[in-house]
Order: sequence, then C-alpha cells, then structure tokens
Amino acid sequence: MTSTPHDVIDAAIPLAPDHPLWALRRQRDKVVAATQGSYDAMFSPAVEGLSVSERLLVALHACRVSKADSLAPHYRDRLAAEGADGDVIAAVDAGQPVADARLRAVLAFTGKLIERPIEGDKAAVQSLAASGLSTPAIVAMSQLIAFLSYQIRVAAGLKALVAVEAAA
Amino acid sequence: MTAPIRIKGFTTEVLKWKPWLDTVNVDTATPAQLAALDEMSPQARTSPYFLVLAQLQRSIAFNAIMFAPGGMPRAERELGATVESRVNGCVYCASVHAQRFEQLAKRNDVISQVFEAPEGAGTTAREKAIVAFSIRLGAEPDKVSADDVRGLKEAGLTEQEILDLIHSVALFAWANRLMLNLGEPIFPEADAS
Repeated sequence: MTSTPHDVIDAAIPLAPDHPLWALRRQRDKVVAATQGSYDAMFSPAVEGLSVSERLLVALHACRVSKADSLAPHYRDRLAAEGADGDVIAAVDAGQPVADARLRAVLAFTGKLIERPIEGDKAAVQSLAASGLSTPAIVAMSQLIAFLSYQIRVAAGLKALVAVEAAA
Repeated sequence: MTAPIRIKGFTTEVLKWKPWLDTVNVDTATPAQLAALDEMSPQARTSPYFLVLAQLQRSIAFNAIMFAPGGMPRAERELGATVESRVNGCVYCASVHAQRFEQLAKRNDVISQVFEAPEGAGTTAREKAIVAFSIRLGAEPDKVSADDVRGLKEAGLTEQEILDLIHSVALFAWANRLMLNLGEPIFPEADAS
C-alpha cells in the first residue's frame, strides 16, 4: 500500500506496516480502530467547555507526569500546529506553574487523576467547578484524562513488546 | 453461588453506582444502565454530541478487548481488569470484573488474594506473571520493559495473549478513572436508606 491511514499509536512507537507487531496489532483491528476513534473524539473541535489547545496541554501534562516519552512529541507537535502559546507549552513541558488560574486548576486535576485516581473524588471535582469550569468542561476533561491513561498504557506495553522483538 | 468476598473494602457483591454531576445522569435509567455509562454506552439523550461519540468508541473498544474470540482466555482478561481496578482503588470496577472472573473460571481463590494484596497474587506461575505485569503496567507504565514481557513469555503467554493483557489493563486504567471521578459506588446495605 502507498499510504497508511494515520494512527497515533503506530506513529508514536513507531510501528511501520512491515513490523511484525504492526500485524499483531491488526489481529485486534477493532481495538486499533476504536483507540484511534476515541482519540479523534477526544480532540474534536466540537467538544464543549475546553478548547482544543487546553485539551492538548492536558495531554502533554499527562505524558510528562507519566513519563510517556513516546507520546509526548505528538502532543507537542499538535500544540505547535494549533498555534498555542509557546511559553505555556514550554512551562507545561517542564512542569513549571502556568500563569492562568483556570489552566493551573485543570493541570493540577490532570496530575492528580493520572497519578492517584482515587483522589479524583467529589471534592476535587467540586473544586474544579469553583475554578469556573462548567459541568460539560469537567466531564470532557475527565473523559480525556481517563482516555489518556489508556493510550499511555497501550503505548508503554507495545514499546516493551517491540523491545523484546528488537533484542531477539 | 458462594458467599461474596469482602476484603479490605473490596467485594464481589453487586454494587450500584451513583453519578455526581447532572450531565452524567443522561437519562433516568436504572443504576445498572448508569454504570454502563462506562461499559456499554446507553443512549445518551442529553449528552453533548462528543460524549455520545466518545461513549460509542469506548464501548466498541470495551467489547473488542474483553469479548473478542481467540488470544488470552476471557477469565484472564477479567483478572487483568480486576488487578488494575484493585491497584487504582476502584471498588466498583473490581466488583464487576471479579464477578466475571468467577463466572468464567468457576473459582475465586485468586480474587481473594488480589483483594488482600495484589503483589504476589496468583495461584499458578502463569497467573502470578499476569498479575505482576498488570500491576506494573497499571501503576508504573514508564517502567514496563522487555524483561516484563519476557516474564510473561516464560510463563507461557503468546504475543497475542500479551497484547490482549496490555489492552485489558489499559482499558481499566481508563474505566477506573471514569468511575472514580464521576460518581461513587453504592453498597447494598447503604442502598436501603
């Protein structure tokens, strides 16, 4: 084939169509399609309450907190393409505090839910509302962070499988 | 059915789940359907379009990961899901998937072990390897290495089975966060009030 449809996981690992694990992944082609489909839904411009740039910053922060080095460049590139503020991208990338209070609250919640999901409790959700986030924004963010936790683990697992293949 | 397991706040009892935010309460569905917000997308009548889309995709991923034929036996996928839920402290998901493991495997010995302390749990070398890998991928995804995969291979898992396990643990990293973050489990005794 001359072109493959874009798949974020394949690009992040990276897995080319001639790699044995590319074919292994396709034995679960519905999972591949739903993983990419979920990604597309999470970053759709149609999402209410959080801008695409805010969602990409959440993703970059989730990657930093999780040390997901294979996925972070993807979100960095998308933020640049989206025209997001370079200083804000750099701050999130370095784990430095950001000036905007709303974004600060969003990123703090992201870190908490990524690292200690049990702490993403009712009080944490209510504190987001107190920071001025609407209910749709809070739900969108929770959905996004939960999805990122999945995406980061799929990538981490595949990376380890690739490492075994490479050493064999 | 044997008596439900109750260890360290985890249980194999049937729990309900109560959402905190109005938007999540997308219809006046039964509690089981509300729980299914996570697992089997109900028609989300008042949800924003994106949520409907997101739930549909997650539901496809869920079915493909947990029910697809071939590869890792379904009971073992449920074990991976239960371990991840135990590690994350998601009492609701742990209950649902411990019950499914028990239905499929016709035993719950390993579930008691996982509820007690996931580290070292497992009644066979294969089960121990599955549990150890699930803990690692769930809690420290950045530390998952070729050696962890080799441990699974030495315990007899094929690459297809390893991929299925990665998917099921990752899926519950996703599901646990939704259930922990958008509502709370309701225990049968509290339900009477």
